[in-house]
Amino acid sequence: MSEDNEPRTDGSGTGIVPPDDETPSWRERKERRQGLARLTYEYFERARYEDQTLREDSSYVERDVLGFPAWPHETIRNLALTSFLVGMLIILAATMPRHIEPAADSSTTPAIILPDWYLYWSFGLLKLEALNPELSILGGQKLMQDRTYGVLANLVVVGAIAIVPFLNKGSARRPVEEPLWAAVGVFGAVFAFTISAYSVNNLIPVERNLLLDLTFLLPVVCGIIAYAVLKAMREGYMFELNRRYYRLRPPR
Amino acid sequence: MPAGAAVAAATEVVAVAIEPSDEFDQVGWMEEKELTPVEKGYLFVLIWMDKRFRIVDYLEQLETMYYRINLQMPKSHTEQYNLDNKFWYWYPLYALGSFSAIAYLVAALSGALLGFYYSPSTAAGACNVSNASVAYCTIAGIMTDVNFGFMLRSIHFWSAQVMTAAVFLHMLRVYFTGAYKEPRELNWLIGVVLISLTMGFGYTGYLLPWDQLSFWAGQIGLEMALSIPLAGEWVAQLMFGGFRLTQSTLQRMYILHVFLLPFIVTALIAIHIAIVWVQGIAEPH
Repeated sequence: MSEDNEPRTDGSGTGIVPPDDETPSWRERKERRQGLARLTYEYFERARYEDQTLREDSSYVERDVLGFPAWPHETIRNLALTSFLVGMLIILAATMPRHIEPAADSSTTPAIILPDWYLYWSFGLLKLEALNPELSILGGQKLMQDRTYGVLANLVVVGAIAIVPFLNKGSARRPVEEPLWAAVGVFGAVFAFTISAYSVNNLIPVERNLLLDLTFLLPVVCGIIAYAVLKAMREGYMFELNRRYYRLRPPR
Repeated sequence: MPAGAAVAAATEVVAVAIEPSDEFDQVGWMEEKELTPVEKGYLFVLIWMDKRFRIVDYLEQLETMYYRINLQMPKSHTEQYNLDNKFWYWYPLYALGSFSAIAYLVAALSGALLGFYYSPSTAAGACNVSNASVAYCTIAGIMTDVNFGFMLRSIHFWSAQVMTAAVFLHMLRVYFTGAYKEPRELNWLIGVVLISLTMGFGYTGYLLPWDQLSFWAGQIGLEMALSIPLAGEWVAQLMFGGFRLTQSTLQRMYILHVFLLPFIVTALIAIHIAIVWVQGIAEPH
C-alpha cells in the first residue's frame, strides 16, 4: 500500500484488496456497466417486466400454449412412424436396388445427360436462354451470357423462397384465410414440376416452344384456380371456424 | 482450561491454516451414517465424482430437466379448440420433418459402412471393365463381393432419395400451414440453407461412383460454377479442382460428401430441431 492508501497495480504492492462492504455485488456491477452491455441488461429487465405484466393481465388460459409440444407428444407419435419409414426404406432397397452405369468416359457423350431428379428444377432454370433479355440498344445483343442468366435465375428462386416470412406476416395459418398466398404457393409447387419437365424437354414428346409456354402458363392457371376455389370456400369455412373459436374465446 | 475451549482454539487454528475442517470431511460424514451397501456405494461414487467435477453445480439443472421431461404438458391448441378433425387429418404431413431427419440418420449409418470399402480415385486398371476407375471398381466390388454390399448401397441410395423428397414436401407443408411466420422466420431460413445443402449432399454423392451419369452431371456442375459472374473460375477451382474433371474433382466431391457437409448439416439439423423444441410445433389456427 502506498501513502494515499490506494491499491497499486504497478507491481509495487500485492494488488490484493480484501472484499468489504464497498465491493459491488455482481448485480451492481452489471447495472453499472456501460455501452452495449448496459443496453442488454436494460432490455432484459424490460422484457422480463413485460412478460410478467402480460401474464398478470392476461385472462386467457391459452397464453400458456404457444405451440404443439415437440416432446413428448410429437416425438412419441413420430417414433411409430419411424419404424414404418425404416421398413419402407428396406423394402425399397430390396425391391429396387441401385445399379451402376458404364464407367466414366470423357470421349463419349451419352445421349441423355441428367442430374438427379431433385436438381431438375435447377437444371431447367439453366435452359431458359429463350427468356434472356436482348436489348435493341445493344443491337440485339444479350445483356449476359445464357448460362450466367441461368445461375442468376437459381439465385432469384432461392432468394424468393427465403424472404417469404418477411413478406407474409400476421397470424393467419390456413390457406383459406389467405387465398392469395396459397395461390402463390400453388404456383411455386406447380412451377417446380413444369420447370423440371422443361429441363428434360428432349425426353418429352411436346414441341419445345409449346413446352416453354406451358412451363409458365400451367403454374399461373393452377394458381388462379387455387385462388378461386379458396375464395369460394372461404365464407362458409371461416364462419364455422369463427363460431367454434369465439365460443371458447369471446372477444373482449 | 476447559476441554471445549481447547477444541474451539484448535478448530480456529485449523481454520486459519486452511486445513480441511470436519465440516468438509464428506467421507467421514458418510461413514458415521448407517447406510446400506447400495447407498454407501452410490454416495461414495457421487462424492468421488463431485470432488473432481463439482456435479453439485449441475445437479439443479439436471433436476429441472428431469421434471421437465416428465411434465404433464398443457393442453395443446388443437385440444383446447377442438380442432382435431382439422389437424389429425393432415397429421402425416407433420411427420415429414422427422422423416427427413430419420432418413438422414439411416443414410449416415449406411454411408459410414460404405466408406469402409470405397476409394475416391480415378486411377485406371483396377478391374476388368473398360474405362473403369478405382472408384468405379470399389463400388462394383461393394455390389458383388461384399456381403450385403448391394443391399447396403441400395439402402444408402433410397434413404438419400427419401430424405430429399421428404425435405421438399416438408417445405410445402410448412408453407401451406403458415408455420414459417413469426416467431419462426429464422427456422425457415435455416430450412432454406438445409434444403440447399441436402441437394449438395445428393449432388456430391451422385458424382462418387464416377460412372457416365456422374461424369456428365459433374460436367454440368462445372459449367454452372464457371458461369457465375466474377467469381466463376475461382469457384470452379475451389469446388471442382480445375476446369476439367480430374482426380482432384472426385477427391473434392468425396471430402465434401463425407467430411464437410456431414458436420455442417448435422449441426444445422440440431439447431433446426432445437428451435422446434423451444418454440413448439406451429399448428394451424
